[in-house]
Parts: sequence; C-alpha cells; structure tokens
Amino acid sequence: MTTRRELLGLGGLTLAVMLMPEGYRILKAQELPKRYAPNLWINLSRDNYLTVFVNKSEMGQGVYTGLAMLVAEELDFPWERVRVMPAPAGRAYVDPKMGIQLTGGSTSVRNMYETLRLAGASMREMLISSASKSLGVPREQIRAKDGQIWAGDKSYPYTQFAELAMREPLPSKPRLKEPKEFIYIGKSVPRIDIPEKVEGKAVFGIDTFEENMLYAVVERPPYFGAKPLRVDGDQAKRTPEVVDVFPLSSGGVAVCANSLWACQKARQSLKVEWSESFVKGWEDKDFEKYFLQKLRDKGHVEKVKGSPQRAFESSPIKVEETYIQPYLYHATLEPMACLAWVKRDECIVYAPTQSQTWVLETAKRISGLPESKIRVITTYLGGGFGRKANVEFVAEALEISKRTSRPVKLIYTREDDIRSGYFRPYSATHLKASADRQGNITSLSFKIAVQPLLGGRASVEGVENTPYDIPNLYVERVDVELPVSVWFWRSVGSTHNAFSLETFIDRIAYETRQDPAELRLKLLRNNPVAYRVVQTAMEKAGWGKKKNMGIAYHYSFGSHACHVAEVSLEKNRIRVHRVVAVLDVGPVVAHPDLIRSQVEGAIMMGLSMALKEAVSFKNGGVANTNFNTYELLRMEEAPQVEVYILTSRRPMGGVGEPGLPPTAPAVANALLWGYGIKVNRLPITLI
Amino acid sequence: MVKDFELKINGKVYKTRAYEDEPLLWVIRERLRLAGTKFGCGMGVCGACTVLLGKEAVRSCLLPVKDAVGKDITTIEGIPAEHPLKRAWVELQVPQCGYCQPGQIMEAYALLLENPRPTKEQIIQRLSSHLCRCGTYNRIVKAVESASKGGRT
Repeated sequence: MTTRRELLGLGGLTLAVMLMPEGYRILKAQELPKRYAPNLWINLSRDNYLTVFVNKSEMGQGVYTGLAMLVAEELDFPWERVRVMPAPAGRAYVDPKMGIQLTGGSTSVRNMYETLRLAGASMREMLISSASKSLGVPREQIRAKDGQIWAGDKSYPYTQFAELAMREPLPSKPRLKEPKEFIYIGKSVPRIDIPEKVEGKAVFGIDTFEENMLYAVVERPPYFGAKPLRVDGDQAKRTPEVVDVFPLSSGGVAVCANSLWACQKARQSLKVEWSESFVKGWEDKDFEKYFLQKLRDKGHVEKVKGSPQRAFESSPIKVEETYIQPYLYHATLEPMACLAWVKRDECIVYAPTQSQTWVLETAKRISGLPESKIRVITTYLGGGFGRKANVEFVAEALEISKRTSRPVKLIYTREDDIRSGYFRPYSATHLKASADRQGNITSLSFKIAVQPLLGGRASVEGVENTPYDIPNLYVERVDVELPVSVWFWRSVGSTHNAFSLETFIDRIAYETRQDPAELRLKLLRNNPVAYRVVQTAMEKAGWGKKKNMGIAYHYSFGSHACHVAEVSLEKNRIRVHRVVAVLDVGPVVAHPDLIRSQVEGAIMMGLSMALKEAVSFKNGGVANTNFNTYELLRMEEAPQVEVYILTSRRPMGGVGEPGLPPTAPAVANALLWGYGIKVNRLPITLI
Repeated sequence: MVKDFELKINGKVYKTRAYEDEPLLWVIRERLRLAGTKFGCGMGVCGACTVLLGKEAVRSCLLPVKDAVGKDITTIEGIPAEHPLKRAWVELQVPQCGYCQPGQIMEAYALLLENPRPTKEQIIQRLSSHLCRCGTYNRIVKAVESASKGGRT
C-alpha cells in the first residue's frame, strides 16, 4: 500500500497528517496539495476498522502499538479493531524533529504524542457532526464511544457516518480528553504485533521473497580498511546453482546463486587477494595502546565550568582513573538482510530498516530512478538497537540486483554480521576529581578518546549535560580516526560515559568514605526530579540493608534512570541476583507495560555488556566469529528485575534507551563495595 | 549434489530440490518458504532455528536435510494458535522484536512433551540454550510456567 491513489481509494474516513514548516498539520485526504505526500495516514474503513499507517520501524519497542493507541484513544475506538501498516518511505515521511525518517534516539512517542491525539479527536468530532446532520439530532445530544455513535438510546457504528464525515470541515481545535477519561493511555493495551510474532507469521526482512529470486552472500575483507585487489571466482562459479561472483563497491565480493546454501558452499572456494590497511596486524593490545596514546593528545574542549584545574590542585583529596571500553557488536538476532529488485522502470526494496530516508536515498543513487519509481517496504526488524539505521547492506543488495537484473535477497551469515563492523565505539577515558575534607566534590575532569559520532556530540553525552551539581567541571574529547567502522548502539555515548562516570562517582565516595547513594543525593539536591528517582531506587531496593548492592544514576534521552544491582561472587563468577530500576519519563506514562518491557530488555543488554561483550581483534580483523566467541547474556544469568516508573511535570522523555546506561556501573559498584574490586574496564573480568 | 527430497512438515508432504548436506533450516525457510523458523547463528548456539523432529527439539541449522527425510517435522506454524504456550506468550506479552520467539516456543513445546510440569529451574536450564537479545528471558520463564499449569497464572 504505497500510492496516494490506493490510500485515497480506501473509502471511509481518511485523514492525513503532514509535516509543514510550522509543524504538523492534519488534513482531509482529498484536500492534500497535489505534490505532497503525508507523513501519516489514518483510515476508518467501511468495515469499521481503524488503520494507522505509521512512519516508524517496529523493532520490538512496541511503537506500532504506542502510536496507534493515541489515535484510538481520542477517537474512542475498540482496540481489537485497530490495525497498523508501515507507512511507505518518502520525503514527506520525515520526523519533524530529526529531519529524516528514522527510528532512533528514543523519540517515537515523544515527537508524535500530541499530533496523533489531535488527529483522533478530529475524526471523532467530524463523525459527531455528520451523525448529527443525518440523524437530525443536535450535536450536544450525540456521544461517540467505543466505536459507536449514540443518540438517545440508539447506537450506530462509526463507519455508518464515515463517508459523510469526509464532507465535514476539520475542527480547528478538537477537544482532547482529560486524563480521567482515558481508556488506553496509562493502561497497557495488548501489543498489536504480538499475535503474529507468536504464530510465526510476522515478516522480517530475512523472510521476504520474490519469484525468480537470487540469493547473495558477501565475502568481506579479513581486516578493516581493505579492498579486493584480485578475485578468482572460477571454481566458485562451477558450484551447482551459482550464477555469478563479482566485487562490490563496498569492498566485499558478492557470491550469487539460486539457493542460499549454494552461495555458502561456493564461497569456500573463492580466492581473494586483499589490499593493505592501517590496522592490518592489530590485536587488542594495539587498540588499547593507540587509544591511550590518543588520550594524551589535545582535543576539543566541550565544557569548562568554574576553574577545574585550580580547584583540583587546591583540594586535599584527589582521585584519578583511566577506563578502557571495547567495541561492541549489536548482535541483532536477525542479521542484516535485504531483498532488492532494481528493474528498468521500478525499484522495490524490502528492508528491516530504521531509516527509510537513507534507504530511499541509496535506492535512488544506485537505481538511477526518481523517488516516484521507488517502493520501500519496511518489514519487522528482528532487533535494531541502532545497527539497522545503517544501510550498507541495502546498498549491497541493490548493487547486486542491478548487476544481475534479478530480485536479490542478501543475507549476512552470523560470521559476516560480526565482521561487518559499525560497532559501538571503543574508548579510553581519563577521569580526575577532587574533594574537600567534608567529602564535597570540588572538581571533576573528564577526557575521552573515541571515534566520534554525531560530529563528536555522542562522545561526551551524559557528562557534558550531567544533572550533577559540580562547581568546577571540565569535559574534553579527542576524536580518533580508524578504519574500524562505528555506529549508534542502543544508548550511544551514554553506554560508555555512564559506565566511566558512575563507577568514578563511587570511587570518590569510596575514597572519601561516603555512602554512594547519599553522595548522589547531595549532587542532585538542586534537581528534584533526579533526586526523587535516586531516592525511590534506594527505597525500593532496600538500600543500606545489604552489603552487596551497587547504585548508578544517569540522565539520557530525556529520562532519568537509577538502578540498584544486587551482586555476589560465586566460585569466582559474578552473579547478579536482582536489579531495581526507577525511570522518570516526564508527564505521562503512555503505556506502562511497554515501558517496563523496554527497561527489562535494556537491563539485560546492559548486563550482557557489563559481563560478557567485547569485539576482539586479531590481525586487524574481528576475532569473534559467532555467538560462541561473542557471547550474550543467557537466561540462567538473568536477574530478577523490578521496574518502577515515575512521572514529573516536564517535557516527555524517551523509553527505549535510558534504562541501559546505569546497569553496568551499578554492577561494578556493587563489586567495589561488596568485594573491594575496582573495575576500570569492560567487560568485567576477575583476575 | 542437488537432489529431490520429500519432507513431512506439520503433517503435510513437501517436495523440493536441495543439496544433500544442505541444512534443514534453509530447506524449510528458503526453499519451502515456511519462514517462521529463523536463522540466527548457523552453528547451533542460539536456538532460533529450533524445530521438532518427532518429539525431539533439534537445531535445524545443523541438521542435513537428508537426515530429516521420513521424520515428522513440526515447525512454529504447526503449533495451533490456541495452544497453551502460544496463549501464554500473548497473555504475558513476551516478545519484543519477536525474532527468537519461534525457537523459544518450540524448545518449550518439546520440554512440555517430555515433562508436563517442569520446575522453574528445569525451564531455565533447558531454555538457557536460546538467545534473546531483547532480554525477554524472565517473561519467557513465566509464560512456560503459566502454560504448564494449564494456562492458570
């Protein structure tokens, strides 16, 4: 369902939500200016279903549910008759606050909350107006509830008035419900995508098919930064079902066949000679050496508050530490996969993508076709975590399809996926702080050497904007350049910065003999929202009653999070028993269970990062080959998790990411207080 | 060698061409397009590809198709939607991205065939061989417990 004509032909009542320079505008479908395509379509069909065409990618965060729920709330429509379809890609589907169509930054519900409610409310008022006219009953005597128009004691399904409602003017100021009238917001409606996921019917990117489809796998360089110099595919081409072997502009070598297994078999006999690279021969210790050396370079000073150096020198207590954190792999259970078909006059892309805009741009570039000839179909994402906002796998599929003139499904094997890069960046961080004899922190300096994302903004996020009230603060970043590709990984810069800053706060508390939770309360005394988050976590966890607890607080993506972890050592193995998490999300808890499940998941990913994960290097390439050498947290290691959600009067915060950053430092801090173990690198290893 | 094969999946007979050593996973998913069974690692360590061979849970990414001939293969599509496990998965809102869940459900299904009332420890021990990157582990345990009690939570 991609063309305007198809959407207009749906019948019933159709509204469109369009981004204008002044913000979102709600329009009746037939009033759309000709050249524009809307950001969102909402259709109340003749058979009384509400369909919302959503411009966000469903990767497990429940965004289809979260957004459709807002329309259904104000329309007052039965949930079991609500459906969601992915909106097609187009220039007009961009997120207004990001400028591109992208699912990331924990922004989906935050940016659309009011607009979608207004759209639902507009529909409801239009239905009431048309019902009033056709029934000859004054507006005031008509109620719209649960998909039914009520006049006196008689009721009629909404859809009976839907087409007449299309002739009603759009209300200029539709009335939004008061919180006490909510039927869905604040409750946990069942997720719309779950039944088909449980039945095995949900279509992910890897599950797409076209007739006469070709399969492709791509052989990648053994180390980062290399290109193929010479490809000998003769023997590979003799494998049954193999169609072609050729190098790609990405630096890989494509093996194409009529079956996936033939691709994998043929690939074993492929001979490729690769060019040299700067990191050829590098091992883990070479990365560490390089980053520590870079940490001594002069970088960009991001923040100077007060006189940090003077305060440091004149204070009686000084604490310093250097932290090393590895590259991390996203490990989406669905590897990168894409089905692309470049035809002479049309291009179709099925992709599990977080960024439809970049897919569209890539398809335009490679196919040479205009936007109007390109159809991007967003499938379900078998995990995203940021990785699937990168489109290199889409570009490869398009290039192979163009060359072979056939629909091509490209699949990364697990080994390819791990080797493909786009990792959470490696970092070396130096922290130093000073305190007076009463234990008040007088200065804090933070310096990080890391490959920059977002022009360096990600390098210092969570520190440069920390809510901690520290009188003298210094933040500096050194941008590192290396051929190892880096990318957004759930919670981005806050993953490494929360770990270094929050374990360091505990080191200060340890050196000054203060309770680490009390120290945080002291640092947050001027921020009542953050203060309450820490206080609640202490209370819920039973802080102070047990010795083996660690606490960490972090502010990211507009939300405050504080976790308390209960940890013990059993036979020299770290065992995390329980994690209590408190999250303040701002003014409203739109869907409590979605928030809980996001925080539960973020904690598991944070623990996995704390205890197990590191991309390791051998000869400049990735040494991990599969899940046997890049291990993830397993069920037997999962702690009991308790999630508490708080609200406060302030702009709405995000949910998908803020629950991750405090996890690893909370565990490390428990080891410090419970066992005197000072952790300064991840994953935590006990020697 | 590419040869003709006949497979019995969810009670239905399918005919396909495939390499003799081709993993059952690729035959089910890519050649027969029963795409509910997922690819995760290709070496039997993540569990996404789990199907039943008779009453036994197997990793279809490691099983050559020739070894599945003549056996009763059950995939996620073969478990009815009203089965207590699937109902518990919906009831407790287990999946996030959902990609690993068919494998998790198939493993739990095999476990309940063997042992209709497993303890929490037995559930965890059995399902720890399955990876879930979204971190739905605790909900999975609750769902299996709930299903094994006949849907009473």
